[in-house]
Amino acid sequence: MADEGLEALISPQSVAVVGASPKQATVGYVLFENMANRFKGKAYFVNPKYDVVEMWGKQFKFYKSISEIDDKIDVVVVAVPAQVVPQVLEEAGRKGAKAAIIISSGFAEVGNKELEDEVKAVAKSYGMRVLGPNCIGVYNAFTGFDTVFLPAERAGRPPAGPLALISQSGAVAASIMDWTARRNIGLSVVVNYGNKADVGDVELLRHFAEDEKIRVVTIYIEGFKYPGEAKRFLEVAGEVSKKKPVIAYKAGRSSAAQRAVKSHTAALAGSYEMYRALFRQAGIIEASNLREMFDMAKALAMQPLPKGNRVLVITDSGGMGIQAVDMLEGLGLEVPEIPASIQRELRRELLPFAATTNPVDVTGSATDQHYKVALEALLPTAFFDMALVVTLMQVPGLTQNLAEYIIDAKRLRKPIVVVNFGGSKMVQDFTKALEDAEIPTYSTPDRAAKALWALYEYAKIRGVVRT
Amino acid sequence: MSSVIARARSEGRSKLLEHEAFELLRAYSIPTPDYGIARDEGEARSIAEKIGYPVAVKVVSRQIVHKTDVGGVALGISSPQELERACAAIKASVKAKAPYADIEGFLIQRMVPAGLELIIGAVYDDIFGHVIAFGLGGIFTELFRDVSMRLAPVDEDEAWRMVKEVKAYRLLQGYRGMPPRDVHAIVDILVKFSRLIVENPEIKEADLNPVIALSEGEGAYVVDARFLLGTP
Repeated sequence: MADEGLEALISPQSVAVVGASPKQATVGYVLFENMANRFKGKAYFVNPKYDVVEMWGKQFKFYKSISEIDDKIDVVVVAVPAQVVPQVLEEAGRKGAKAAIIISSGFAEVGNKELEDEVKAVAKSYGMRVLGPNCIGVYNAFTGFDTVFLPAERAGRPPAGPLALISQSGAVAASIMDWTARRNIGLSVVVNYGNKADVGDVELLRHFAEDEKIRVVTIYIEGFKYPGEAKRFLEVAGEVSKKKPVIAYKAGRSSAAQRAVKSHTAALAGSYEMYRALFRQAGIIEASNLREMFDMAKALAMQPLPKGNRVLVITDSGGMGIQAVDMLEGLGLEVPEIPASIQRELRRELLPFAATTNPVDVTGSATDQHYKVALEALLPTAFFDMALVVTLMQVPGLTQNLAEYIIDAKRLRKPIVVVNFGGSKMVQDFTKALEDAEIPTYSTPDRAAKALWALYEYAKIRGVVRT
Repeated sequence: MSSVIARARSEGRSKLLEHEAFELLRAYSIPTPDYGIARDEGEARSIAEKIGYPVAVKVVSRQIVHKTDVGGVALGISSPQELERACAAIKASVKAKAPYADIEGFLIQRMVPAGLELIIGAVYDDIFGHVIAFGLGGIFTELFRDVSMRLAPVDEDEAWRMVKEVKAYRLLQGYRGMPPRDVHAIVDILVKFSRLIVENPEIKEADLNPVIALSEGEGAYVVDARFLLGTP
């Protein structure tokens, strides 16, 4: 059952933006522009300074207060000075809004805890959920609901797709949005909870677990703030990770225990170690940086899970193959030898100087066909659980057709990742064809290896690994 | 709350005495070597006769936190003569190195045969609650920080995962001529210890150090234990 308040926060149908403004280069303006031009639901703008505003060839009515709006309101977006926020929430509550997103800062983060407590109390008395204060709120690519007050021309908005992000930091969330937008990574929903007066990681995780469109949840976290919070997180995350992959990146890792301790154990259990323990226990895959988080998320969103840890490596560059093996083995994955009987078969179809051991080196003289032969002869066998394919498209014999062969191998229901880099039009088209068909591509072998590792880790969490 | 913890708290102590720690462990069926508390050398001798040599002798004092540092421990004592000498030496050393400490007596403990030394512990954190830790003793935890942790409670499955997670797990499985250790017994201690911690939330920090894992089928023993209590 989806929580009504959370639903209103993330996918509202009608929104009131309090503090919207036609004055350019202000937060109120960006919110106005976002909601007026891209939101697919109904947006109402509240600011007593304006009456009717003409912009982008359209007329917009500005309301003096929320109560003037003659429609039901799901969520109120609040971007007014902190002192006025409780009063706005009071109005939102009377209007029957299910949730409020408080963009405004000037609360607990600057020591103004009483004002934050007041906000909490008002919201609670009306049964309203609160996101923030001091946050950038929500970006929802499906509906165009967007409270991110960084202008879209400066901070990109990612396309709709299978990923969601929960971020403790607003700035980090915005930079991830920009980064994923430029790489065309489908990050549909981004939520930043700021001071976490009410809604935080736990509720958001639970919400995304229920959202069928979200296939992988990513979390950027710096630290919990409430007593017992880790335990609630464990309970919910432990359930969610059985349904869909959750990947977390924890910033702030200085491992020395900060408190004064007398025992051996306490000296070992620094705060970061506890987060790591929590992630493992909850079945959350830990990323060691943001790029890695999305490298893994992409694979988990696109590929099936492996039944074991044995990787077939096919490459047209010996050097790239060696790098892939180093990384894979370092991560605890296996790169097993190919039985002699199978190698004999392969040798008949590959070039005379090709390596028929694992990694299979089809060499720089390879054609698309050689990859097809190696993939079809080896990946469907009982010897391999997944494949890492290095395609340096710079060699003369390869064509765009290779993408079709690799995509065709999806029917084998074993994970495939591709390493491919370069700036030429051909490489870009090739990458696009693969990614459009949900074959994840990476520019280096270590990133592709880590993506396969994540698939294997999640296969273990889901208990699909043959033992 | 267990009765030993209640007693320590009523006396305003934040640390359990060693024999109280063993009493607590026994209440949860966690194996410890046989022991007895002696007020003097004479009692020490009769306890040693009863539990059998070789024994370890440890000073009992409310004021001493690190017994080894003040020469308060003697290991591998195998005869009454040795036992007498050990008690005298401990007394002399403690008097010299910790003159402020009252010596209440000696803990006489049956020596556990050589095995692989492990650490099991717990620590309380406001945000995480009680966290249980497991690692191999010595440099594995101190230098390499090769430790696995979980939020309490830890059930049997989770305890297995904790044990298998440390890199030193290969040593437990038997490595280069060393025998495989009784991993089931370790998992059993972890699960019981987790229950002990959950049912006694007053415990702020705990170290079972060392836990000695014997060969397969011979079990594991907690040889030394320390419990620190939080403010109520």
